[in-house]
Amino acid sequence: MFTYPKDLYTDIRIEEVFETKIIYELGEIQELKTRNHKGAFIRIFDGEKWYYSATTDLENLQEEINKLSAYGTPNKNINQHRVINGFEVHKETLRKYDNERIYDIPMKNKQDLLTSYFPIVDNNPTITYWKALYNDKRVVKNFYSSKGSEISYDSQWAGFAISMNFVKGKNRFTESFQKASDSFEDLLDQQEKCKALIKKCEDFVENARPVVPGKYTTILAPAVAGVFAHESFGHKSESDFMIGDETMKKEWAIGKKVGADILSIIDDGGILQGGYLPFDDEGTQGKRTEIIKDGILTGRLHSGTTAASLEESLTGNARSINFEFEPIVRMTNTYIDQGTRRKEELISEIQEGIYIESFNHGSGMSTFTIAPALAYYIRDGKISEPVNISVVTGNVMKTLALIDGVSDKVEFASFITGGCGKMEQFPLAIGFGGPYVRVKEMEIQ
Amino acid sequence: MHREKYTINTRQISLNVVQTEIDSIRRKNISKTGLRIFREGLVGCAGAIGKYREEDLLKRAISSLQGNIPYDFKLSKDISRSVDLRQKFIDEKYVAEEFAIFLENIRKEQPDFIFANKINLTEEEHRIHNDLGLDLQFADRVLEVGLLFKEKTSVNVMDGFVGFWGREYDRNLGLEEINKICTAFQNKVDLPKQKKLPVIFRTGDRVPFIKFLKDLDGNSYGSNSSLFSGKIDSKMFSEDFTLYQNRKATDTLLTPFFDVEGSINPDDRYALVKEGVLIGPFTDKRAASKYQLPLTGSAAGEYDGIPTIGSPQLTIKESEKTAKELLEGEPGILVMMASGGDFTPQGNFGSPVQLAFLFDGENIIGKLPELKISSNIYDMYGKDYIGVSKDTIGPLNNEKYLMMRMDVSKM
Repeated sequence: MFTYPKDLYTDIRIEEVFETKIIYELGEIQELKTRNHKGAFIRIFDGEKWYYSATTDLENLQEEINKLSAYGTPNKNINQHRVINGFEVHKETLRKYDNERIYDIPMKNKQDLLTSYFPIVDNNPTITYWKALYNDKRVVKNFYSSKGSEISYDSQWAGFAISMNFVKGKNRFTESFQKASDSFEDLLDQQEKCKALIKKCEDFVENARPVVPGKYTTILAPAVAGVFAHESFGHKSESDFMIGDETMKKEWAIGKKVGADILSIIDDGGILQGGYLPFDDEGTQGKRTEIIKDGILTGRLHSGTTAASLEESLTGNARSINFEFEPIVRMTNTYIDQGTRRKEELISEIQEGIYIESFNHGSGMSTFTIAPALAYYIRDGKISEPVNISVVTGNVMKTLALIDGVSDKVEFASFITGGCGKMEQFPLAIGFGGPYVRVKEMEIQ
Repeated sequence: MHREKYTINTRQISLNVVQTEIDSIRRKNISKTGLRIFREGLVGCAGAIGKYREEDLLKRAISSLQGNIPYDFKLSKDISRSVDLRQKFIDEKYVAEEFAIFLENIRKEQPDFIFANKINLTEEEHRIHNDLGLDLQFADRVLEVGLLFKEKTSVNVMDGFVGFWGREYDRNLGLEEINKICTAFQNKVDLPKQKKLPVIFRTGDRVPFIKFLKDLDGNSYGSNSSLFSGKIDSKMFSEDFTLYQNRKATDTLLTPFFDVEGSINPDDRYALVKEGVLIGPFTDKRAASKYQLPLTGSAAGEYDGIPTIGSPQLTIKESEKTAKELLEGEPGILVMMASGGDFTPQGNFGSPVQLAFLFDGENIIGKLPELKISSNIYDMYGKDYIGVSKDTIGPLNNEKYLMMRMDVSKM
């Protein structure tokens, strides 16, 4: 296939992308396109530095490899280098979707899917503006390395979003109904759920009042718990921030107590959600990683470099957003594991608190933030009036210790818009979810 | 039938920094082309990454007319202009070498800190041209030094962000910038007692502009979904507050003076708010036509997509005063990292501030504890608005200081 430069490590990732995008605005079509392109990312390592090249000139890949290799210094022991030595070697073809490609479903079916929602949103006087988006993306990746890997696999993800602006008098509110899956069939027949959401939003826009800022016991719905897991601890479990950092190695030692006893967080690229990843962008097979188990730090996410640096096992989390970028440590499908209690029980025990049902965005460092969309007061153990909140925030470690209730069923957020951002790489397809999670105290603004 | 082509060429050298050393070097050279066909009030589009055959692209663009996407707006025409801002302030060949020295200096001068993230030298060329005599070309070359830092003893993933970005480079000035922040970071100071304090953002920070980006969107405004809907010609903010949609080379980086529909403005900017009075929202041709609003040239889109309203760069007219003069002797809260905050639909604002410094307008005095800030869009740019400084935040940055009073308290 390729002639690899002598005494250097080389890998090549070739990506072919098939994509469909349809957008309607207020019923008028604005975008209808299919896209098919290829690109490649080449990495060369000499034991000291990595050299990368992103190219679309696939006919001259060998020439590009040769050119890039000139930057490296040949190293006779490169295959014994701890990073290279640790890389897995696979010769495998895993084309899960070759015979059920959503991309190949006729465009009319995809348009019909969206237009079936028009009567629901078009005749609603509270909805002043709406947009309907459909997107499917299939990526075929071929990975080759000088260690002998030859991998070919595919992934696909499709979904639609109906974004709506609600106006009632002087009140305004924005929300979207989304559904996503790796199967087109799963996207069908969601109209009743969309209607239910609209009804909820109509009530919200009419009755929501600004929150009285303060600290509240808070219930996070599964999608919100998912983004909380992702932002609060998921990013902290990406171990690239620990390389060579002795303080962090001590602080984040495996076995440390990092959360309440009922808290477990897992990252799993094998689940068929947005972050499905059978092999990462270094050719490592996807794995299930228990990051926190019963409040104890039990694992973290790795690339080849970080695993070698911390002398831990590969986890299959080296990912890039596309062929233009190098793989870095990223999450796949991250979720809070289920507990034992019923959602209703968790709510019934709260005298005054907040229930967050959906969110606009989140962020996480030492302090996490969630900007809620639909949110409600909880009064006397019941979900009560709607409330406008600009941001929910808190110290990650303190908040993880304050989780005092987890319901008994995990649900994944179903979304097609957005994604995860880290450094320059946004958006990355990921999945997140969880059960209903109760936190004793959260700062609400 | 008319044809219009948009091309973007990106060349980049990207140095990845780990533990204050260069860990990897990435080279990128990517071309993206979009061809639009306009016929009988419809538009079709096709795109290519890298090499392509002209006849294939044309065939696909014509074929996509079957999507029946309406586009019955006047195409930009009979304008030819070329702006090339590329300066050879650093040779591509020596970027890695230069920044190895730069990082070595940082290691020596800031031994208590670890630095990571990216140093990018990016060159972009944009061109839009059509068969009606439109030919607009733009090229820029920008150095972005964006380093996350943390104290070696810190248990945080990162403690802050330091950097500079622009069309010039000087090793010593760059080091001075970094030293200034690190020195201040190690001097822990307390929050002044007043509840309401001058809060200072970099003008490149998007946080204080979030509400404008959402509610001055032409579609949002025109469909009565915006907090500002129906308020054109109303005085809503301070007389000192003028807000531009800005594509001026002196105020922006890697931003063509034209949008993806080939619209341009006199002086490459458009006032959306003038002296506190709302002039209008930002629009592309579709929104301007649909809601009978002035066209501001805010179309954006993927290289192979149909133009749609985008998220423009917003800037505020600067005052005649320096940051020190604007503060009038009061201490200010210089926001370095405020991630995750937002506005409610009514315009109430709240955000955590992960890193802030006490600032007197000239000197960064010391690091404040983690804070939360809150206000309201009308107060921020109305009675509590202080202004934008005429001086920049550093010799290698073209950003300035944006100041307003807000409620500030510790987390």
